Amino acid sequence: MSISDAHSPASDDLASRRDMIVCDNVNKWYGDFHALKDVSATIKEQEVVVVLGPSGSGKSTWIRCINRLEVHQKGLIAVDGVELSNDLRNIEKIRSEVGMVFQQFNLFPHLTVIDNITLAPRWVRKLPKSEAEARARALLDRVGIPEQADKYPGQLSGGQQQRVAIGRALAMEPNVMLFDEPTSALDPEMIKEVLDVMKGLAESGMTMMVVTHEMGFAREVADRIIFMEDGEIVEVGTPEHFFTDPTEDRTKLFLSQIL
Amino acid sequence: MSEESGVALESATEDDIDDKPILKPEEPSLPPGEWVRKNLFNGFFNSVLTVLTVFLMAIAARGLLNYVFSEERVWSAPATNARLILTFAYPDSQYARVWVTVGLLAVLTGTSIGLWAQWAGVSAKKLCFWSMNLGSAILLSIVLTQPGVHRDAAGEVLRDADSDVIRKSFSTAMSDRLVWWIVGLAFIGAGLLAWNWLGEMRRRTIRVPSSFLIFGSLGLVVLSLWVVNYGHYAFIDGEFIAISGRTVATTTKQPWTLMWLILVGSFFLGRQIRKTERASSVKGLLNLGWLLSPFVIYWVILRDPAIDYSHVWSTDLPLFLAFAIGGGAVLWLLSYPGIGEAGRLAGVGLVVVAIFQFVAAFAGWYPMLQKVRLSFVLLALLGLAASNFSGERSQRIRFVGVWFVLAALLHYFATVMNAPATVDVVSENFTGGLTVTLFVTALTLMISFPLGVVLALGRTSSLPIFRIMSTTYIESIRGVPLITILFFFSNILPLFLPDGMDIAEFAAIILGYSLFSAAYLAENVRGGLQAIRRGQYEAADALGLTSPQRTSFIVLPQALRISIPPLVGQVIGTFKETSLIAIIGGFDLLRIGNQVIPAQTQFLGIKRENLLIVAAMYWVITFAISKYSMRLERRLGVGER
Ligand SMILES: Nc1ncnc2c1ncn2[C@@H]1O[C@H](COP(=O)(O)OP(=O)(O)O)[C@@H](O)[C@H]1O
Ligand SMILES: [Mg+2]
Repeated sequence: MSISDAHSPASDDLASRRDMIVCDNVNKWYGDFHALKDVSATIKEQEVVVVLGPSGSGKSTWIRCINRLEVHQKGLIAVDGVELSNDLRNIEKIRSEVGMVFQQFNLFPHLTVIDNITLAPRWVRKLPKSEAEARARALLDRVGIPEQADKYPGQLSGGQQQRVAIGRALAMEPNVMLFDEPTSALDPEMIKEVLDVMKGLAESGMTMMVVTHEMGFAREVADRIIFMEDGEIVEVGTPEHFFTDPTEDRTKLFLSQIL
Repeated sequence: MSEESGVALESATEDDIDDKPILKPEEPSLPPGEWVRKNLFNGFFNSVLTVLTVFLMAIAARGLLNYVFSEERVWSAPATNARLILTFAYPDSQYARVWVTVGLLAVLTGTSIGLWAQWAGVSAKKLCFWSMNLGSAILLSIVLTQPGVHRDAAGEVLRDADSDVIRKSFSTAMSDRLVWWIVGLAFIGAGLLAWNWLGEMRRRTIRVPSSFLIFGSLGLVVLSLWVVNYGHYAFIDGEFIAISGRTVATTTKQPWTLMWLILVGSFFLGRQIRKTERASSVKGLLNLGWLLSPFVIYWVILRDPAIDYSHVWSTDLPLFLAFAIGGGAVLWLLSYPGIGEAGRLAGVGLVVVAIFQFVAAFAGWYPMLQKVRLSFVLLALLGLAASNFSGERSQRIRFVGVWFVLAALLHYFATVMNAPATVDVVSENFTGGLTVTLFVTALTLMISFPLGVVLALGRTSSLPIFRIMSTTYIESIRGVPLITILFFFSNILPLFLPDGMDIAEFAAIILGYSLFSAAYLAENVRGGLQAIRRGQYEAADALGLTSPQRTSFIVLPQALRISIPPLVGQVIGTFKETSLIAIIGGFDLLRIGNQVIPAQTQFLGIKRENLLIVAAMYWVITFAISKYSMRLERRLGVGER
C-alpha cells in the first residue's frame, strides 16, 4: 500500500496549494469493531477526490468523521488548518465551512425549498433575510430549479430534492463539499441531473470529496481516486492509473466486480 | 398529469410529480337511489345490517325525542338559569366586564378568521342536500315523537284513574304538529327546487362562501332574539323572573347583537388587512393578542371590583417600567456585535447579582419584593444568551422585544397572583360556570404546553441530569390521580408558602392542573420527537446550526406536527377534566347543573334538563376542537411525507 506522490495528478502547482483536509492515522472503533484503520490522506484546495470501495468498507464513516458527525478516537483530522477537537465552537465553525450532501437528501420536510436553503445562512452566518433569499434564488438557478423555490420538499422529485440539498450546502459558502453517495437513492433517470450539477461545481474549483459508485463520474471528474476496503486505504491514484493498471490485487478484484 | 386536470396547469412542469390542489375535486356523485343501493343494500348481509342499524337508530332517536319533549321536562330550569350556567353569580352591577371580555374575544376571533381562514366554501349542491336532510330529519322527528298529553285549563296534565297520563291519539298528535310538517316540507321543497334550478349547470359547482353561511346563521340566531317569543326568564341577583309570550330581555339581545356586529365587522377588517402589505405583521400581533388574552381576561373578569389601584400606579407599574427600560438598555448593549468576551463577563456578572439577591433575602439583609428578584434572574438569563442574538439591528430589536414581553408577563403574574397588598383575586365564588371551565382550560394549556415541551426535550436529552429530572417528574406525576394533585394545590400548598406570599385558590388550582397536564403533554411530544429521523439531526448539524437552533427550527416543529392528534386528545381531556373543580369546591359548569340549580326553591331537584344542556355544551366545544384539529392536520399534512 502506498500513498506516494507518484500517483498524484500531474498538475504542477498541486504541491504548492493549500491543504484543505488533512487526515493523519485516523482510527475509529464502533465498540470492538475497528471501522477505520490508520487512514491518512491529504486533500488539496480545489482538488476533487472520489472515494471508492465495497459496501461496509468505512467510506461513510470516514467522510462523516471529517465534519464530526462521527467522532474518531485516534489520529488527527484538520480542515483548512483547523484541527478537530471537542471544543463545541470549533466544531460548529468547521461544520459551517464544510458542506455535506447525504444519500437520503435529508431536506427539512416542514420548510419550503427557499427556507431550507436560507435557514443556516440566516441563523449561522447572520445574513439579513432579503440577502439570504437573493442568494438562495441564485443558487437554485445554479442547480437548475429556480421555479421550485416555494414548494415543499415532498412535492419535488428525488433528483430535484438532491439538487436542493446541494444548494442548501452551498448557501453556507463552504470551502469543502463532502458527498456521501449522493445518487444512490435516485432513480436512474435522475442521476444525471445531479451529477451534472456536481460536475459544474468541480469545474468552478470547489474542493470536493465524493463517495460514489458512479464510475463514469469518477473517471471524468476526479483528480484522484482513493480505494478503501475493510476500513483502510488500499490504493490511491489518478483515474487513469486506477482504471487502466491498478497496482493492488484487491483493487483489481473490486473493479472486475463492478465494471 | 392529464390535460383536463386544469387545477394544477399553471405550475405543471414536466418534472412535476405531485402538486396537491387545494380543493379536492368532488367525487362524481351517483343519483341518491343508486347510491343507497350501492352502499347500503349490496348483498344480503349488508341489507340486514342496514335495516338493523336504521331500526336501532330510530329507537335511540325516539328515546331522546321523548325525553326532550316529555311533559315532565322543566326546560325553564336551565333557561331561567342561563346566566348562572355561563358566569355563575357574577354581580349584575359588574356584568359589563363580561361583555367587554366577550367583545375582545369577538374582535380577536373575527380578525383571525378574516386573516387566516382558507375556507373553500360549500357547494350549492351540498347546501341543497343539507336542506333536504334537515327537512327529512324534522319530518322523521314528528313521526317518531310520542303523542302529547291532555291538559286542563290550568295547564295541569290530566291523568286517568290509575294516575297514568292520558295521551292524545296518533292522528291528533300528527295534526297538532301541522306547523312542523310545513317547516319540514318547506326545507325539503326548497332543497329540491334549488337542486332542479341548478340542474343544467350541475357540473359547474357554485360555491357559497363559508363565512356567509356561518355569520349568516349566527345572524339569524341573533335576529330571532328580537322576533321570536322565547319569553323572558331569568335569575339575577337572587330574583326569579318568568314572563312568557315576549322576546328575551333587552339586556340579553342588545349585547348579543353588538357582539355579532363586532364579530362580523372584525372579520371584514381582517379580510381587508389580508390584502395589504401589513398582513404578516398584523398576524404576529394577533398571535400575541391570543397569547395574552387569557391574562387580560383574568384581570378584566376576576379582579375584585373593590380593588385599590393606588399600589399598582405607585409601585407595580413604575417597577415594571424601570425594569423593562433599564433591562432593555442593558440587553441592547450586551447584544452589540463587537462586544465579545466583555459581554460574556457582564452576563456572568448579572447572574452573580441575581443570585446575590436571593442570598440577601435568605439572610434578611435588606427587604425586596420577590418580583424584583425574579426580574433580576430573568435579566441575567437573557444577558447570558445575548451574544447569540448579536447581529443586525432588527435581530437585536427583536431580542429586546422578547425581554419586554417576558418582563411584562413576569410582573403581571407576580402582581395578580402573589401580592396581597395589591390585587386580591376573589376566586371561587366570584364567577363560575362556563367561564371558569374555559378559563381553567385555557390557562392550564398555556402554562403546561411550554412546560411539557421542555420536559419532553429533557427526557430525550443526551445530558443525564436533565433526563433523570424529567423522567422522575413525569413518572411521579403520572403515578398520582389528578384529584389528589388538585386537593394538594387547593388545600395544602398554601400552608407551605413562605410568610407574606399568598396565592389565590383559583391560581393554585390552575397550577395543579398545569403541572399534571404537563407530564402527559410531555409524553405526547416525546412520541413526536422519537419519530424524527436521525438524518434531520445530521443535516442540521452539518449546516453548523447550534443545538438550540436545531431543536427550535428543525426538531420541534416537526415533532409537534406529528403529535397533533394526541395533543388534541390532551386538550379535550383537560377541558373535560375541569369538571373535577366541583369536587374541590369550585363552581364549574357541571356543578351548576348538578347541584346549584336543583337546590333552588323554584326548581327543587330538577337535574336532568340541566345535565343534558351541560352535556350538550361540552359536546359542542369538544366537537369544535376536534373538527378544527382535523383541518389543522390536513393543512400541515401530518402523516404524509
Ligand atoms: N453506528 C454504527 N455502529 C456500529 N457499527 C457501525 C455504525 N456505523 C457503521 N458501522 C459499521 O462500520 C462499517 C463501515 O460502515 P460505513 O462507513 O457505513 O461503510 P460504507 O459507507 O463504506 O458502506 C460497517 O461494517 C458498518 O456495519
Ligand atoms: Mg455508506
